[in-house]
Amino acid sequence: MKRKKWLSLLSLMMVIALMITGCTTAEPVASEEPVVEEEIVVETVKIGAIFPLTGGAAATGVKLKYAVETAQEIINGEYPEIAFPMAENAGLENLDNAAIEFIFGDHQANPEIAKSETERLIQNEGVVGLVGCYHSSSTKPASATSERYMIPFVAGSSSSSALTERGLNYFVRIAPHDGMETEFFFEYLKNLNENYDADVKTVATVYIDNEYGVHANMMVDKWLEEVYGEEGFERILDVKYPSDASNVDTEVLKIKEAAPDIIFHASYINDMTMFANAYQLYEVQPKVVISYCGGFQDQQFLINLEDAANYYSGSNQTIPAIIAANEALSKANEIYKAKSGVDFDGPALEDFASAMVIAEAINMAGSTDGDAIMEVLKSEEFKAPYFATGKIKFGEDGQNEFSASAMTQIIGGEYQNVWPGEDTTSDPVVAFPDWSTR
Amino acid sequence: MIIQIIISGIIMGLIYGLVATGLTLTWGVLDIINFTHGEYLMISMYVSFWLYSLMNIDPLLSLPIVIIVMFIIGYLTYSIVVKNVINAPALSALLATFGLSLVFRNMAQFLWTPNARFITNSVLSGKKISIGSIIIGYPQLAAAIGSLVVIYAIYYFIEKTKVGKSIQATALDKNTAKLMGINTERVFGLTFAISGAAAGIAGGLLSTFYPVYPESGILYALIGFVIVALGGFGNIKGALYGGLIIGLSEAIGGYYLGTQFKYAIIFLIYLIVIQIKPKGLFGW
Amino acid sequence: MEKSITNNKKMIGVVLLIILALPIIVQDNNFRHIMILFVLYAALGEAWNIITGYAGQTSFGHAAFFGIGAYTSTVLLWKFDIIPWIGMLIGGIIAVVVAIIVSYPAFKLTGHYFAIATLAIGEIMLQLFVSWEYVEGATGIMLPIKENGYKYMQFHPMNKLSYYYIVFGLFVITVITAYIVGNSKMGFYLKAIKENPDAAQSIGINVTRYKLYAMMVSAFLTAIVGSFYAQYVTYIDPFMVFPLALSMQIVLITVIGGLGNIYGPILGAAILIPLSQYTRIIFGGTGKGLDLIIFGALVVIVTIFQPNGLVGLFENLFKKIKKKEAINDGKLHDVS
Repeated sequence: MKRKKWLSLLSLMMVIALMITGCTTAEPVASEEPVVEEEIVVETVKIGAIFPLTGGAAATGVKLKYAVETAQEIINGEYPEIAFPMAENAGLENLDNAAIEFIFGDHQANPEIAKSETERLIQNEGVVGLVGCYHSSSTKPASATSERYMIPFVAGSSSSSALTERGLNYFVRIAPHDGMETEFFFEYLKNLNENYDADVKTVATVYIDNEYGVHANMMVDKWLEEVYGEEGFERILDVKYPSDASNVDTEVLKIKEAAPDIIFHASYINDMTMFANAYQLYEVQPKVVISYCGGFQDQQFLINLEDAANYYSGSNQTIPAIIAANEALSKANEIYKAKSGVDFDGPALEDFASAMVIAEAINMAGSTDGDAIMEVLKSEEFKAPYFATGKIKFGEDGQNEFSASAMTQIIGGEYQNVWPGEDTTSDPVVAFPDWSTR
Repeated sequence: MIIQIIISGIIMGLIYGLVATGLTLTWGVLDIINFTHGEYLMISMYVSFWLYSLMNIDPLLSLPIVIIVMFIIGYLTYSIVVKNVINAPALSALLATFGLSLVFRNMAQFLWTPNARFITNSVLSGKKISIGSIIIGYPQLAAAIGSLVVIYAIYYFIEKTKVGKSIQATALDKNTAKLMGINTERVFGLTFAISGAAAGIAGGLLSTFYPVYPESGILYALIGFVIVALGGFGNIKGALYGGLIIGLSEAIGGYYLGTQFKYAIIFLIYLIVIQIKPKGLFGW
Repeated sequence: MEKSITNNKKMIGVVLLIILALPIIVQDNNFRHIMILFVLYAALGEAWNIITGYAGQTSFGHAAFFGIGAYTSTVLLWKFDIIPWIGMLIGGIIAVVVAIIVSYPAFKLTGHYFAIATLAIGEIMLQLFVSWEYVEGATGIMLPIKENGYKYMQFHPMNKLSYYYIVFGLFVITVITAYIVGNSKMGFYLKAIKENPDAAQSIGINVTRYKLYAMMVSAFLTAIVGSFYAQYVTYIDPFMVFPLALSMQIVLITVIGGLGNIYGPILGAAILIPLSQYTRIIFGGTGKGLDLIIFGALVVIVTIFQPNGLVGLFENLFKKIKKKEAINDGKLHDVS
């Protein structure tokens, strides 16, 4: 008889242990999203924000969190001096000045965790919208999940074109995708050839072996085949490297041997720095190095490399020079800088934008209903004074049609806007000078 | 170009060899796979970096400090954690060091943020020697030579000194060693301390040209395990030659078969060699 | 055969029933998700136990089988519209074949060398799938959306219970298999092999053959759980299903719980999975890595104070209880 007692005691202990863990965060939320009717006053509008906050990409993820927090501050506070939508009044005007609250989740660069964080934020925290996730590999399952819950997802900086090719109804994305960027790069190269006699033809792609790099490389293939192969460009080398490389000597020596005119880089900050250092060491001298949204755009690149950072190019949604020329953005930048210690960079601005846009859409819709918000997102043209283009408009597939990309090059230790258009701050330098002269 | 590749492989191989030397000592003497070895590397890189950025001490000059710090950390790892699991089943001991590695890695992120740091202005930065078309950077050269020197120093210590021989004896059979009057406790602690110091030197040298960030030790540790198993554990010669083999495979294999396969090639080489010599190249 | 508490069929049954009942009682979806992960990892631990706990061959590469299962059923579903149940079985078979191919050379190795070899195999698998275009390599595969229901093993994400029943079923299969293996002739041979392979060989046990059987069973079970995982998460890429971290997680759970013991993986998973999930939820948002610091520290503490696994704690408790009972029944004199 006593044995049975202890048996049940043990079972009870296990039950209790598991139940305690279950009950600490159990706030069963009704499975339909709260539909805000006119009579109900919503006090806080919660939005989920999922980023890589620990692990290898944490450096960037944490900055993106600060960018979203900056947006939250501007929306919730009264900033009449910042000429952004949502800045002047406190909170969401059309929802009785309800405050917006971004609830952060850490996906740790693991798509499975991205998915489960999405579900947790929707089910347990009651978020009515989502932003994130930086890594396209995490944005994919996260947004596929939010789709099934009919919760709007506004992706800021994820670049894979696959995201807007899925036919989702509850997904929009702000950053230009890597297909658009690739076209942009080639147009820039054509500009160099036509207006600066650059004579650049041979392309090497150097990319990290994950979704971001591999997909970017696929886009290069695609554009070369469809358009630019016939315009004289040709790819002579394809260098794929593992995501946690201990050194890049072999890669760089291969590049040196092939001696391409142009190098397209899809690399994060650590690998980009290693490559730049190795290019200097081994005296690799391409004419043009253009980076997809990754390590180059991170100001840490300048800090890491100092003089050796010069002459690298890449597309950028913003740079200090552009910020300085935009009064409202400068003020927002001060708030961001107080948190992060650095100025806005491209990805940070894109995720800032995603936070602003989702708040604005909810405000315009006057409701937290997913369908109402998506209706607004897909039909409105949003004023985006923080971008050079000044506006954001999502197409049928959810892609922002206005890319705020500027081609920037590091000249004299600073990012310069070199193409296209009227706001350029410098002419491009069309070839890397001989290493012996530096 | 192939010569340049080979040289690059040798340089990395020597550094790997130093990392493996520390690992093979603890593995051989205590029969424990020390998962924190990669974190020793990472910590020493941070120590080197902070001394450089806060006090302007060149990483080469700060090496002695790094060595002392890592010596202590290695010893403490033993006395606080490993000592208590030494008689546990092998897997538990291993997992203790694994848990510790998680703690170190995330403490580093907690304290110092995940941003990668680089030492850009050490006395060696940016300098290189060119022999014909072959280029070797000073930081890499220093790291390679330094590694070789230290590996040899440790080898000499183990083989020729009395303390070193007591370490060997303990590795062979710790019970008999105890009976012969060797203080095995002290030997274990010392082994861990030396292991830490070896990793420390590797880290200090690496910091002159490699990014410093919380996860920087993981890959080196993994490669270290493979090298130690390849060379035979407890065997310093094995660690050196294993390191060279791995460094060269990475460089040459990566060059000819595709850089994305660099690490798969290393693992494949291990599997092939171990088939021919199941106890490692020099194991017994 | 041990008449320990751990072999009591009734006890195992009770524990299983509790595990089944919990997510039905507690209606929170996040809790159910954590239960699914808990049961999934416990099943992986049971499978791993067969080769490592029983046969004494430490594998650090079990993620290889997990990934094979995940990819096989997913690719078959995506490219050939084959239902996941069949895909799961095929995945299991492929895993077995792979197990046979790699085991023959690997079993020549001993101890740490074998362990590192399994680690190497796991990493090679990862790289293979990252580079293999047919399975989309690094970009991963998004599972095609099919109608909800058991046929395609797909349900609305809010319906966690249906997923739970499936993984629980797989878990029960692994527990039963582990129990049978442990208490059968094979289990007896494996124990002998673990203790002293040479002695076992000399009394006529075909050491290699039995180790192979253990590996095959372990691989099969691991792979079918991998298929479930793919169905549940609806997106896989090589970094999710083949990483060393996953292999180590399986090792951690089983060893902390208790190696070679049916309750080991259950206990280990019951502690580690909620711990890692909840510390991430509470602390992860700060981006400071606190969750993993706590996790790591716990691993260190448990391995120091309970190196034979937490199961040991319960066994001691029961020994004390039995002793008390025996004293009370007059069968034992109280000499304390």
